[in-house]
Amino acid sequence: MYRVMLVERNRLMLEKLTQVVQGTNGFELVARYQSVSDALGQGTIFNPNLILLDIEEQNSVALIADFLKVYPKASILCMGEKWKAESASHIVQAGARGYIIKPFTGVELQEAVDTFLKLGTEAGCETLVFFSPKGKSGKTTLIANLATALARKTHEQVGIIDADLQFGDMSVFFNLAPKTTIVEAARDVKFLSPVTLHPYFMPVMQNVSVLCGTATPNLIDKVSIRRFESIISMSRSLFRYLLIDVPPGFNPTSIAAAEQSSTTFLVSMINDAYEIDHMKRALEIFQDWEDYQERVKAIFTRVEPCNSQSQQELARKLGYPVTAIIPNEYSIVSDAADNGKMATDIRPDSPLAQSVDRLADEITGRGHRIRWSVS
Amino acid sequence: MLELEKEVNGVVITFFSTASAVGKTLISCNMASELARQGKSVCLVDYDLQFGDVCNYLQLLPKNTIADVQRGFTLQGDTCHVEEYLTPYEYHGVLFYVMAAPKKLEEAYNIKADYAIKAIRQLRQKFDYVIVDTTSMFSVLNLELLDMSTIVTFLGIVDFIPTIKNMKIGSNTLNELNYDKQKLRLVLNRSNAKTHISLDDVETLLGERFYHILPNDFRAASQSIKDGIPLVLKQEHTELGEALRDLVMRYTNQGVQEFEDEYPEEVKESWLSRIFS
Repeated sequence: MYRVMLVERNRLMLEKLTQVVQGTNGFELVARYQSVSDALGQGTIFNPNLILLDIEEQNSVALIADFLKVYPKASILCMGEKWKAESASHIVQAGARGYIIKPFTGVELQEAVDTFLKLGTEAGCETLVFFSPKGKSGKTTLIANLATALARKTHEQVGIIDADLQFGDMSVFFNLAPKTTIVEAARDVKFLSPVTLHPYFMPVMQNVSVLCGTATPNLIDKVSIRRFESIISMSRSLFRYLLIDVPPGFNPTSIAAAEQSSTTFLVSMINDAYEIDHMKRALEIFQDWEDYQERVKAIFTRVEPCNSQSQQELARKLGYPVTAIIPNEYSIVSDAADNGKMATDIRPDSPLAQSVDRLADEITGRGHRIRWSVS
Repeated sequence: MLELEKEVNGVVITFFSTASAVGKTLISCNMASELARQGKSVCLVDYDLQFGDVCNYLQLLPKNTIADVQRGFTLQGDTCHVEEYLTPYEYHGVLFYVMAAPKKLEEAYNIKADYAIKAIRQLRQKFDYVIVDTTSMFSVLNLELLDMSTIVTFLGIVDFIPTIKNMKIGSNTLNELNYDKQKLRLVLNRSNAKTHISLDDVETLLGERFYHILPNDFRAASQSIKDGIPLVLKQEHTELGEALRDLVMRYTNQGVQEFEDEYPEEVKESWLSRIFS
């Protein structure tokens, strides 16, 4: 049960929100204030564990800091009239759990709480972008499997954005016929907040959902770079891990996504041609980033034999560490993709799944820890 | 070319696909080689600007690239002669020219479609054949290229469903552009690759028969890439090399007679698909 304290200056809005909170299962309104000073000085005696805090036209960072001092154990959800990416990241940095647009419905309140409080104490999102110099890199397969591995290992929310805008394959891999795609998300993004963006993602398994790509290539014009950036920054408050598939090569979409990434993976498929040269050239571009050695990781797919010797050999040729190598499992992958069963058909004991697992461990920072549990 | 009073534009053949790694570069290199071997004047243009492989496959170290052409156009305007920026490829007396992709990625990123098209316009006046290799996407440059091409080769492979989906999307989009049936040619590469998807199903889905089918010969293909010598120029005969020669013969109307009634289903399918789309 959430013990809610409402802090809202506008009398009518306070009344409206009061009714919503009182009418929503699982929420009990324990206190409500128009004045911040009252809320800070008096609310403690009601012991709220969820504070809905109006931050319109206020110095939100200082305000959150005050409330956290007085209510260290409560979760704070900020309320505003519209979604702003910068202020949303500021409030999360200041210690609030999330942001909700007012007025809201009971369902939205429930969703906001589910979304933001599920993120756990390690607030923040790892944004992982998968870049390939040329097409046919195996990255869509990698992303699909990595997302499921991350969700299985961490039980946290994992999101995929298919931003390979002309020829994205994520919906085929997961056999989805999405009603909403990145095109609708881009169309509506001005009016959305993270909570209302969430339903645009299609669930594919427990804790994994996908924002599908465009249905036809001409729709690419409907996804402007600015809106794409808003979608990414909003999605960051929805997921612990956000995996983004981008079109091959350097283009406004792949560059925008990479700029917002915590890690950018350069992915190429071993094809006995010039893929290592292409990777080298792509790496040179990323060297403009000061922290590129931490932020840019190389992955090769269809590596045979898939062993540490091959990995070292590739790293030597590339002149850069190779973070992961993925084996060639053409028939398994193509069967799973053909049947739209990427989420279930790749067996966890297959070499492919094991390679992906190791990468997932690397990402979650568990790669170097000793596992005590036997199972 | 015949001696004519009027200016004559050569044939522009563009290789396009919506799936990657289908063999555009390999096939365009071989087509350029075979046409040159037959005594035609040929220029091969690499418009996979960022990660083009033409110079890799032919092991050329170009002095100038399309980036230099663009600089030439901006500095000198129409007095810039594109043919001065080409790199010759020569093997056992066979000679053709290559317009190389930029060396630096930032140059590639900044190539303007207008200049790239302008370069082709100049080249087609100087050469019998201009062969263009592209990237797998509907970019501004590619759309303009498709428009100005004499023949568009839409290249596909049959491996798994996502690729087929992208071929279908590509072929639908090309149909929307309403090119003449004669101009657009559906060519299948690597037809024997292991897959359980049947060719018939793909043709039914696309509503069109493949114009030409190239056999799968990964070994011969990758050996020719390693050697830097196109298959059609090699001494030893390979199945793929022969199939590539046949393709060129058909493109240039030599030997093979095309029959009007060769594609009866094609009309039916596209008529049906128009009704149901």
